[in-house]
Amino acid sequence: MDKIVAQYSRPSHQNEFYSEQEQQDLTETLPPLSLKFALPPVANPSAFLRAMTDDHSNPSCPIKLAHGTTTLAFRFQGGIIVCTDSRATAGNWIASQTVKKVIPVSRLSRGEDKPSNEPTPGLLGTMAGGAADCQYWLRYLSQQCTLHEIRHKRRITVAAASKILANLTYSYKGYGLSMGTMLAGVRTTASFLPSNQVGLELTSTAFIGNPQEGPALYYIDSDGTRLPGNLFCVGSGQTFAYGVLDANYRYDLTEEEALALGRRAILAAMHRDAYSGGFINLYHVKEEGWVHHGFDDMNPIFWKTKLESGEFSNVTSEL
Amino acid sequence: MTSLMDHQARETVGYSFSESTAGVKQHGFYPYTDNGGSTLGITGSDFAILAGDTRSTSGYNINSRMVPKVFKIGGDDETGEGANIILSVVGFAADGTALKERLDTVVKMYKYQHGKPMSVSACAQRLSTILYQKRFFPYYVHAILAGLDEEGKGALYSYDPVGSYEREQCRAAGAAASLIMPFLDNQVNFKNQYIPGSGEGHALVAKKPEPLPLETVKGLVRDAFTSAVERHIEVGDNLQMVIITKAGIEEVYHPLKKD
Amino acid sequence: MRGPTIIKAEDDKTRQLNKNTLMAFSGEAGDTVQFAEFIQANVQLYSMRNDTELSPAAVANFVRGELARSLRSRSPYTVNLLLGGMDPTTEQPHLYWIDYLASLAPVPYAAHGYAQYYCLSLLDKHHNPNIDLEQGMKLLGMCTDELKRRLPIDYKGVLVKIITKDGVKEVDFDNDKIVRSA
Repeated sequence: MDKIVAQYSRPSHQNEFYSEQEQQDLTETLPPLSLKFALPPVANPSAFLRAMTDDHSNPSCPIKLAHGTTTLAFRFQGGIIVCTDSRATAGNWIASQTVKKVIPVSRLSRGEDKPSNEPTPGLLGTMAGGAADCQYWLRYLSQQCTLHEIRHKRRITVAAASKILANLTYSYKGYGLSMGTMLAGVRTTASFLPSNQVGLELTSTAFIGNPQEGPALYYIDSDGTRLPGNLFCVGSGQTFAYGVLDANYRYDLTEEEALALGRRAILAAMHRDAYSGGFINLYHVKEEGWVHHGFDDMNPIFWKTKLESGEFSNVTSEL
Repeated sequence: MTSLMDHQARETVGYSFSESTAGVKQHGFYPYTDNGGSTLGITGSDFAILAGDTRSTSGYNINSRMVPKVFKIGGDDETGEGANIILSVVGFAADGTALKERLDTVVKMYKYQHGKPMSVSACAQRLSTILYQKRFFPYYVHAILAGLDEEGKGALYSYDPVGSYEREQCRAAGAAASLIMPFLDNQVNFKNQYIPGSGEGHALVAKKPEPLPLETVKGLVRDAFTSAVERHIEVGDNLQMVIITKAGIEEVYHPLKKD
Repeated sequence: MRGPTIIKAEDDKTRQLNKNTLMAFSGEAGDTVQFAEFIQANVQLYSMRNDTELSPAAVANFVRGELARSLRSRSPYTVNLLLGGMDPTTEQPHLYWIDYLASLAPVPYAAHGYAQYYCLSLLDKHHNPNIDLEQGMKLLGMCTDELKRRLPIDYKGVLVKIITKDGVKEVDFDNDKIVRSA
C-alpha cells in the first residue's frame, strides 16, 4: 500500500523548473572553469555512453563520433618533427579530410595558425582518438599553461604540461574519454619571458631547477599513461608509420632528412590504413618555437614518391 | 550468504518521494530518437548560406512537414531581428531545440554584458564547449554555425555531437549527408576536377577552388536538396534557406516534393 | 603454441610442393600441416602422372580451389598461406597471398597476421622488383628487426628459405641479433 502511495503522491511537476544555479549556468557567457559535465540519469553512465557512442563494439550506435588517425612525432638533433594525416571517420563515413590534428598549446594569443615562416613559441599537441576530447582538453591545457605563465612569469616545461594532462585523463579514467596525444616542445633559458613583458623582474635564474629541458616529447593517453620518449606513433595507422620510421630513424638526422622521413612515414600509413588519409600536416619544433611545413594533399605526393623513387611496387601506374 | 541474498531480494517498503523505483529499474533508458532531415551550409566571399529541409519524421512516420532546422541566434525572439549568426541543427529535434535555446541565451547575455555582438569565431568556440559540457550524455545533433567573420567573409563551422569543430567552405549534415557531401566536394571545392588540356595522366593540373557567387551557390543548394529528396525518405516537403550577408539575414522557403 | 607454452621453437612451417614451389602456412594447429601435406601430395601426384611440373600459378589456383571447396564443407581448414615459386618455363618469380577464406592475390611482397601491420609499409618503401638476393636478405632483416622491436611477443626467430630456378634451399639467418628501440 505504501508503495502505491509513494508512486502516486510524488508532485507531478517536481523537476519542471531550473534551480537557481542551473539558471545561472544557462545564462553564463563564459564557459565554467570548474569541470562540470552533465551525466545521464542512470546507474552506470559510462556503460550508457558506450552503448550510445562506441561504434567499435556497437556498429549501429546512434551517435557516431569522429575517430581514426595516424600521428607521429620524433626527436632528433635538430629538434622534434610532428606529422599527422587529416582524416576523421565516423564508422565507415569519412566525416572530414581537412582536420588539423596538430594543435598549438600554450600562449593562446600566439596559438593562431597564421601563415608565417617565423617560429612560433609554445608547445604542440597532436590529436588521435576522439576529436572533441583532444580539442577540448588541449584547449584546457592551453588555459592552464597560460595561467602558469602569468603566475610564474616563465613558460611551462613540457614535463609539467604533460603531467597536467595525464593527471586530468587519469581522473576521468573509466568515463569513456578516448585520446592519444603527444606533446612536443623545446624549453630553454630563452623561455623566460623578458622582464618588460611581465610586471615583476626576475631577480635571478639561480633558483630555477632544470632551466635547460631542451627538446622534449611526451605521450599521454586516456588510460592515464604518460611517457617521455624519442619516437612515438599514435592511432589506427601507427604500426605502418612505425615500420617506416624505425627502419630509417637516427638521432643525427639532418633537418631535411627528418622532415622527409616524417612525411614518408605518414604517407605509408595513409596508403595502408583506410582510416588515415587526406592531407599531410608537417611541423618542426625548434629551439625558437615551432615552424609549419605544409598541409599537403597526399595524392600528388604519393605519385611523385612512386614514380620518382620506384617505391610502392605493389601499385601499378598504368591499367 | 543466503540471508544476505534474502535481504536484497525482499521488497523494500516505499515511503513518499522515495527514489526506489529510479534506483532499481534500469533497463531500456533510451532518451534519443532521430527526427531525420538534412542540413547544408556553403560560404562565399561575402555571404554564408545555411539550408535545411523542413520534414520531421520518427521512424517511417512523417510528424510534420514544417519544422524549420535553421535558426537565427542572438536576435529578437519573434522576428530574429538583430541576429548576426545562424545555426542549423539536425538529428534529435528536442536536443536541437535545447542547444539552440542555450546558444541563443549565451549570445544575448554576451551582448548585454559586453555591449557588442559576439563574433562568429567566439560563438563557434562557445558552441563547442556547450556541446562538450554534455560529453557524457551527448546532444544527439550535428550542428552547423554560420555568419560573417571579422573581415566580412563568409564563415562556417561544423560540429560533431560532442563539440569537435572545424571551419570549412561547405558541409552537409544529417540523414542525406552521404548523398549531398560528395556533390559539394565536387561542385564547391572542385575535388577531382582538373583543368582540361593541362597535361596527361598524373601531369593534369587540379582545378583550384575559389569562392562562388551567391546565385551559383543558391542553385547548388536547391539541386542538392531536390536530388536528396529523390533518394532519401527522410528528406522532403520544403527547403528552408537562410542567407547571411552584410545587409542582414534573408530567409526563403522553396517547396520540395511531398511524398 | 599450446595455451601459453611454446612447444617447439624451430618448427618448419613450410612445405615444398615441387621442385620450385614452396608454401608457407599459419593458422589453426593441426589444420595447417594436414592441409599443406595434402596439397604437397596432390601436386607431386600430378607431376608423376603427367611427367611435368606445375607452374606456381597453376599450383596457387589449385590451392585456392581446394581451400574454397573446404570452406563450403562441414569442417573447413583454417589456414593462411604464402605461396612462392619460380616458373620453370619463363624463369619469373611469383608470390601469392592466400587466406583461409580462399582469397588469392598475386603480390610482390606479403605477410599474414600482425606482421602485416609493421612490414607492409616498410616493404612499400624499400622493395623494388629489381633487387638482388643480397638486397632481398637485407630487406628481410629490416622486417625481422622491426618485428623484434615492436611485437609484444617474442616470436623466436624466423626460418628462411630461398627459391631460385635451381630449386629451394634453406639459408642461415641470424636470429640472435639484439635490436634496440629508438
